[in-house]
Amino acid sequence: MDWLTANPVIGDIRTLAVPSLFNLYFAFASIPVGFLLAIGFAFGKNSRIAPVRLLSAGYVYAFRGSPLFIQLFMFYTLMLSFNQSLWKPMGIDWLVLHPLFLGPIVLALNTTAYTAEILYGALRTVPRGEVEAARAYGMSRWRQFRSVVWPNMIRIAWPAYTNEIVFLFQATALVYFSLPVIGQQKDLMNKAGELFERDFNVFLHFSVAALYFLAISIVIFFVCSLVYERLMRHTGAASRARFRFTPRFLR
Amino acid sequence: MPDWLNALLGPGFADALAYITNGKHFAWYGAFRFTILAGIFGAALALVFGLMGAAAKNARFWPLRQLGNLYTSIVRGVPDVLFFLFFPLAFEQAVEAFLARSRCTAEAIAANPGVWPPCPDANWILGTWEYLALACVSLGIIYGAFAASVIHGAMRAVPQGQLEAARAFGMSRRQVMWRIHVRQMWIYALPGLSNVWLILVKATSLLSLLQIADIVMWADRLGTPNFLTQVGFLHGDWRWRYYFVLFVFYILVTFASERGFRALTRWAGRGMLSADR
Repeated sequence: MDWLTANPVIGDIRTLAVPSLFNLYFAFASIPVGFLLAIGFAFGKNSRIAPVRLLSAGYVYAFRGSPLFIQLFMFYTLMLSFNQSLWKPMGIDWLVLHPLFLGPIVLALNTTAYTAEILYGALRTVPRGEVEAARAYGMSRWRQFRSVVWPNMIRIAWPAYTNEIVFLFQATALVYFSLPVIGQQKDLMNKAGELFERDFNVFLHFSVAALYFLAISIVIFFVCSLVYERLMRHTGAASRARFRFTPRFLR
Repeated sequence: MPDWLNALLGPGFADALAYITNGKHFAWYGAFRFTILAGIFGAALALVFGLMGAAAKNARFWPLRQLGNLYTSIVRGVPDVLFFLFFPLAFEQAVEAFLARSRCTAEAIAANPGVWPPCPDANWILGTWEYLALACVSLGIIYGAFAASVIHGAMRAVPQGQLEAARAFGMSRRQVMWRIHVRQMWIYALPGLSNVWLILVKATSLLSLLQIADIVMWADRLGTPNFLTQVGFLHGDWRWRYYFVLFVFYILVTFASERGFRALTRWAGRGMLSADR
């Protein structure tokens, strides 16, 4: 087993295993929150009430139109400026300013906007006839949503949403560039940078970090394609949209 | 400022105006040139890499085709910030390794083992402009991969009939390629390329990671709590206000780009029949 411990690539893969969990944590702590909020914003953007529509559309536009890097800095320093007046007296400054708390919050705000845009696009393409049929059956608004609008929406949106999950996972690499690193709580980029400063071997450490991102992206993609198979199980394989790794409007 | 204007706007306005026009703030405004240059040259290089990548993906020669596919899938599977940092560091080390071959003696290398560069003479010290050039190239490589898949898709979207008609007119392969295929490709590629440009613009905020004193770094410097012994406490932590200005700046750039691309699409599609214009 000597080659296993002596090989620098294997050594790096072992060193970066724990840091990769931080990236996974950031992604999976923000995705559910972002998804739920995005449903609200998607319907808000489609609302008939002008203020709701304008606010939702404005939120989506602002967060899709600016870099995540700036958003992370802005929210961190905003939270920091309330430290003396608000968080310290309330005794929750250790929580609010902690990167493991604030990071997922900013990522969730960001992914909400991107996901809302995807869901809004899907909402607009829900077959009109099906919704009219549901109304003709006398279904309540909630019933219409539950059995007609939502199943259609999620099927249309899923391929694009998969891309969003993958790119959100990759965006987690940015978190620790703007939020403070506490002790040994380092993600893939931090740890790769630390290893690089030790022996200046950029090819080895950054490639192994890239390998982690690539491997996890492929796993996420595979799992999502299984979910898509399940969502589309009532249709023939030929009628399904091609499930591909395509860039969207990303951060 | 004239007195009547001062009276109209109040003393706070004059102070604020003096504050935002002081020397440090002008350094901040000047730092926008790095962001703009990185955006322009990064986009130009991304287009070049995109065309090269698309040509490789379309090649008849199998290894070249696989190379094109490998390029686009690897760069897209890895976070942009990782590649953005990796390329300048790798390039710097490659140059230093090259310099070390001629400049380092065996004794000098033996004198400092385990460090990089192998000897002090081979050290290549990069300034802001060198880093900016490397940043542009790395933006070009990263977003070239995205552009390559957009252009590759657009090449396939050109109607076959157009190409067949050109061939029937007796055009050579090269003429069909450049006069018909590439010309008509743009209208299909523009929506995708506009997305790539919008991503690239947002990636220009990463310049400070390469030691460039760009707008983000200046926003941080200007916003940190400011204390002068003669004057006392100037302001507290104003960083979020400066970041908010950048937040708005990027939204405005996005807005302007969208308008610009809409006009460009209308221009590129002139004379073509399509329902969506």
